Amino acid sequence: MGRTWLTVPRDWVASLGDIAKFAARDFYEIFGGRVFKFFGEALRQAGILILGSTLVIWSTTFILGLQCGIEGAYFDRSVGAPAYAGVFSAWCDLREIMPYAFGYMMAAKVGTGLVAEIGAMRISDEVDALEVMGISSMTFLCATRLLASWMVLPFMYLAAVGAGFFASYLAVVQQIGEVSSGGYFLIFWMFQNPPDLLYSLIKGMTMATFIVIVGAYYGYTASGGPVGVGTATAKSMVLNVVGVHLVGMLGTQIFWGSNPRAPIGG
Amino acid sequence: MMILTGKTILSALRPPYPYGGEFVNQFLFALRLCWFPLLISTIAFGYGAPGLQAGNFLILFGAIDRLGGFFVLATIREFAPFVTAIILAGVAGTAITADLGARKIREELDALQVLGVDPVKNLVVPRFLALMIVTALFNIYALIFGIFGGVLATLTFKAPLGPFFSTLLTNASVTDLWGSVVKTTLFGAIIAIVSCYKGMTASGGAEGVGRAVNQGVVIAFLGIFAFNYVFTQTLLATHPEISVIK
Repeated sequence: MGRTWLTVPRDWVASLGDIAKFAARDFYEIFGGRVFKFFGEALRQAGILILGSTLVIWSTTFILGLQCGIEGAYFDRSVGAPAYAGVFSAWCDLREIMPYAFGYMMAAKVGTGLVAEIGAMRISDEVDALEVMGISSMTFLCATRLLASWMVLPFMYLAAVGAGFFASYLAVVQQIGEVSSGGYFLIFWMFQNPPDLLYSLIKGMTMATFIVIVGAYYGYTASGGPVGVGTATAKSMVLNVVGVHLVGMLGTQIFWGSNPRAPIGG
Repeated sequence: MMILTGKTILSALRPPYPYGGEFVNQFLFALRLCWFPLLISTIAFGYGAPGLQAGNFLILFGAIDRLGGFFVLATIREFAPFVTAIILAGVAGTAITADLGARKIREELDALQVLGVDPVKNLVVPRFLALMIVTALFNIYALIFGIFGGVLATLTFKAPLGPFFSTLLTNASVTDLWGSVVKTTLFGAIIAIVSCYKGMTASGGAEGVGRAVNQGVVIAFLGIFAFNYVFTQTLLATHPEISVIK
């Protein structure tokens, strides 16, 4: 890969239709109910997701929450309104950085993990073995994982937002000490409401779905021995980070583009 | 990993310097691979997060011209380095891990050692230097396109561009710029060391290389996030004059 300047965009265009077809089949397996034959496998995958990825994702959102907190505290100090640091962290955390942090870590931990796992199965012909045994590999490998991520991730995401909020609180109130705890929370809760949380959740889940599908696609179509698995893993990461940014931008545009949802002005 | 860092720095400085050609190759490789993902990502990030959200907030006060000033904080200090590091770790870092991991699995690294070629000097050092320089240069590139995202956001609000640029340029300081460049150079070092280490210690056949890429990118991300926090905090605390709005 990387022989000429246009390799990356050309690769994407070439595989876009394939990925869309793959996603459509994945959705069909789930909404057609065929995946529930393997509900046990989906539960097992959910367990793996919880045990393997939760802590990493939470610590990512925690660190980025700290980051939002200090930037917000210094910015609001510079405009002479240190008491309003809560606005910055409420918006920065909930609307932008938490979905991004979640998306980055999902792509890095879960997305590449899926490619490595399914890709290794493909290389060692385990996928074909499944087909020979009469088990639809698409349902058993890809649809169960997507279902598992839908079962687990909303809750993991909400807890991750909590971790980010806690980190911003630590940074603004305890570390910088610019504003009292009560004053911070007054502003912080005033500038957000449940629909914001819902929108943020939708953003996060769209990213997660995108990442799981791309990961499963690259794993499922891996070829070319051990080296092929590594290359496929690297390629999936490229598409995933860009996808995360695009979903983030579109989400912001759709949910908050024309309506800032702030309790000021008219 | 620390040992690898030390070895890399030492053998980069100590003569002979046989890694010139490989350095240029790696440099161009990273450049070719990253320019397009980075272009899309920075425009998307600049338009969405700081552009629309902060613009919405400022437009309530009728102060949309201040968006340029906010972009100094948002883009130069924070998001351009950050997005650059994410893309470089996700694109170039994973490619390096996959490449070195493949060589390790095929025992090419052992073959090199048998031939008396030091893999650290000939493989790790050029990647380390190339990534450091490429990340710092890409930071400038990301900065330009991040600001382009801000311009798009300003146009979306149907505001004139003149005030955007005037507040942007009055608020930007040299400290911000060098802070941003130093930060990304060190991000590049983190990414290179983590990717090379994970690639060179890959083991276990087909799944091993994939697993190495997976772990490498997770560690690189966490390292970048943690380092970013410490660096920003130190810069803001030691240079109070950069956060004064002019």
